[in-house]
Amino acid sequence: MANEQIGNPVLVIPCSGIGKVHGLISREAAYLVTDELAPARTDTLCLALLVKGDPDAVAEVRNHACITLDGCAKACAEKNVQMAGGRVAKAIQVAACFKNHRGAQPGNASALTDDGWTIAREIAASAASDAARLFAGEEVIR
Amino acid sequence: MSAEITKVGIISCSGEAIREGTISRLATRRVLELLRPDVTVTLCLPLFLAGNEAERNFAKTHPTITIDGCEKQCARWSAEKHSGPVSGALIVSEILGTQPSACHCSSRDLCQADKEAVWAVAERIAAEVDRVLADATPPDAAAAGTGGGQCACSSPLTGGSITIKGAKVKIVGLPLIFERCAERSIPADDSGSTALLEVVKIYHHIQPEEEADYRSALLAAYQDFRREAKQTK
Repeated sequence: MANEQIGNPVLVIPCSGIGKVHGLISREAAYLVTDELAPARTDTLCLALLVKGDPDAVAEVRNHACITLDGCAKACAEKNVQMAGGRVAKAIQVAACFKNHRGAQPGNASALTDDGWTIAREIAASAASDAARLFAGEEVIR
Repeated sequence: MSAEITKVGIISCSGEAIREGTISRLATRRVLELLRPDVTVTLCLPLFLAGNEAERNFAKTHPTITIDGCEKQCARWSAEKHSGPVSGALIVSEILGTQPSACHCSSRDLCQADKEAVWAVAERIAAEVDRVLADATPPDAAAAGTGGGQCACSSPLTGGSITIKGAKVKIVGLPLIFERCAERSIPADDSGSTALLEVVKIYHHIQPEEEADYRSALLAAYQDFRREAKQTK
């Protein structure tokens, strides 16, 4: 990790996939991190803006460590950050987090249930922890 | 392509950094689940650049409407770059003006302002879906499809029914439509019947000559709805 990354806000970028609950969990987990758990150390940006190739968004992902939150194995957030030349310090997949919640009923693509919020909070806690390390200039395990 | 049109694709920007992005997402879901469930599908925007051919091909062969949060129009740009011109393009900030300033990004904070904004945008999307379908459907097919007095979204999945000239007519999502009317404080008496009819017309095709029958039937059903809501409180 380069020293210039110390004290540099970490970008938390969800896929926000609209077809399944996993996308909503990724989105809400990102907001939990940026609004509640680590507002001073993290920020988010519009993935669609990055997809579009907006110069400011591209510069953002190139100048900040990124944590991507993807709903499924297609890993759209991770891929798009990489395609823009950004550095994905940590890639989290919501679907993988369901392994610890067999039988959970997380809701749907429009609204989360208590189970869904529990999973979102777990993911957010993990991402916030990684963001704290990245903010301090440390590496995290991908 | 027009003779085979059965579905309209809706692509929401879902921009994470702005309130309008959340509104675009929730309004799109509302249309998919409630307003036009039989004739709409959604496409995942990030998949366009992640290289999903199925998503791109659908948008090439079906009419597509983009819902963008702001004037940057990322969804429209991406769709048109990879799949050609879109059939419709809506911008939440243009529809709502400054209204989203009271809205939220996360669904855990949703308030009345968010609900109002989502409904307003969802209604615009539904109207745009109807327009696109009407443009894409041959006149003879359109005439055959509306012969039963139903809307363009075919058979409703769920909802209430009212009686028009002795025949039961189902209206998809009628309780939710009434809920929406109640939120807007539309009175359950004659003074509110015109507003009630206008709201229902967004979701359900009504011939001009049937409006009077619908007006009285809807008002009666709405009064029942309000009465029951009061009793359950």
